[in-house]
Amino acid sequence: MKFTRTSQQQDMATALRDLLGSVDVPAIARSWAAGETGDWWKVWHDLVDMGLTGVAVPEQAGGLGLGPVELAICLEQLGYSGLPGPIVESLAVLPHLLPDTSESEGRPWLEQVAAGQSLATVAIAEHVPYALDADQADVVLLCESDRVTAVEDPRLLRQESFDPARRLFTVETTGATVRFQNDAASVREAFDRGALGCAAQLLGIGRRLLDLATRHVSERHQFGRPIGEFQAVKHHLANALLELEFARPLVHGACLSATSGASCSGRDASAAKIVAGDAAYAAARTALQVHGAIGYTTEHDLHLWLTKATALRSAWGTPTWHRRRVADALALDPSVPVGGPETM
Amino acid sequence: MNIVVLVKQVPDTWSERKLSDADHTLDRASADAVLDEINERAVEEALLAKEAQGGEVTVVCMGPERANEAIRKALSMGADSAVHVSDEALHGSDAVQTARTLAAAIGTLESVDLVIAGNESTDGRAGAVPAMVAELLGWPQLTYARKLDTDGQSVSIERESDAGVATVEANLPALVSVTEKINEPRYPSFKGIMAAKKKPVSTLSVADVGLSADEVGLGSAPTQVVSSAPAPPKEAGVKVTDEGEGGVQIVEFLSGQKLV
Repeated sequence: MKFTRTSQQQDMATALRDLLGSVDVPAIARSWAAGETGDWWKVWHDLVDMGLTGVAVPEQAGGLGLGPVELAICLEQLGYSGLPGPIVESLAVLPHLLPDTSESEGRPWLEQVAAGQSLATVAIAEHVPYALDADQADVVLLCESDRVTAVEDPRLLRQESFDPARRLFTVETTGATVRFQNDAASVREAFDRGALGCAAQLLGIGRRLLDLATRHVSERHQFGRPIGEFQAVKHHLANALLELEFARPLVHGACLSATSGASCSGRDASAAKIVAGDAAYAAARTALQVHGAIGYTTEHDLHLWLTKATALRSAWGTPTWHRRRVADALALDPSVPVGGPETM
Repeated sequence: MNIVVLVKQVPDTWSERKLSDADHTLDRASADAVLDEINERAVEEALLAKEAQGGEVTVVCMGPERANEAIRKALSMGADSAVHVSDEALHGSDAVQTARTLAAAIGTLESVDLVIAGNESTDGRAGAVPAMVAELLGWPQLTYARKLDTDGQSVSIERESDAGVATVEANLPALVSVTEKINEPRYPSFKGIMAAKKKPVSTLSVADVGLSADEVGLGSAPTQVVSSAPAPPKEAGVKVTDEGEGGVQIVEFLSGQKLV
């Protein structure tokens, strides 16, 4: 099996990276956290024009009909850029909650989100109690085990978040709601896509933290040379890189089992989420350390990725929950490799 | 109207660029290769003209096999098709030979109305090829355009040089070279990237465009690079410690350099 990215996937990543590199994302993240959302929407519309919102939406609903691999590649770039917003929710989770059949009531929402006319966010019982950036979303989808309810005008109450750019809300239903018939499996699968999307985002965040740290230790001189030349510093960075590179195949493997719908897809999403979360968190601690702890201050850009890595590590299911799921799956059948039986 | 855009793959501007020791040609392996930024602007301008006037945009590129990455970028931005002149014999060609090859490649296309090029590449920086191509085609050349208008019959540009801005007009067919002020190039959309794979790219050899191998390449180039050396490292500047005389010392330094 060939694991290298196709030229098309590389071009998508480059286009996204170029676009996001041309805007001041740290400034956008700060104003987003403060509730000033104008600049964020400008970037979002550019991303919509590029086609980002349709990546995982089937072609018959106006999307590009691409798979989890492309989605993960995009989310990694978005994590790298540090752009806030309900991105995993809109891009990865929503297409799995709303069936795309033409007679489905969810179809118009799916089409609008794919076309970038609507923004969606979700709350999922047990693991995702708060809806991210719900005040900016046109629709909040509330999911219980096999029930999905779309709420258009909810009463929202803002909650504290470790990452101020992740604005969390409790959702109370007030007015009109639409209930979709979902089976428990599709809600579970949507959650898995969220966890996998979050893992991909964490990979990008970890890589950005490492890049920021590497640049800092090349520029900061002490005892007449860059501090990155000292073993105590460069070994830390090498370890962070190793963790990230070992997490990457797990994220890609989970994309493959999600694509094929293999029975191990939940287990693989969990494994990817645990390892990507740990790797990004390790990169965050290392970056903070080699920066001489300056990233603690909110004024320093490093802070944005530090808080995001820490918050996302326990979002979309805690590491403990995911670990238990991997352990249960392995106890049941230890022989299926990451990515499903066909990857062997 | 049918528009041809001349594109070149160059080493990334931010990477270290060097010449190979053996024959002083560009060492392409030592740096990441990208579509030259000025060519992205040329493609953008062609796409704008196409959107206003209709027609097709064809990318013409001369370069080794890996230059197809640069071509793919232009196609994913929205160009319709491409001609890639790729031949071992072209290695080391100078500006005149490059212009001959490009003009011959344009000659293989039917009814070209407008050729758009960047004013100069970021690696060679000769800035001569667009004018040479126009001369070989026998078409009017409108160079250093910061603004381009066309109605499908004629083309009009604002030509910006050190001497000022001139408005220049010509009937089509014509060649225009653009400066970096012309526009902001678009990002390829995902749809464009997916469509680029299916767009026709015809790869031509030197013989296919009607030239013979001994007319091109390092061996028969009219100009030869006989030696090359890396730019000398920047020397440390003069430090003036101000002990009441700082201003005077600065003026003395500047007048020593004949600057005041």
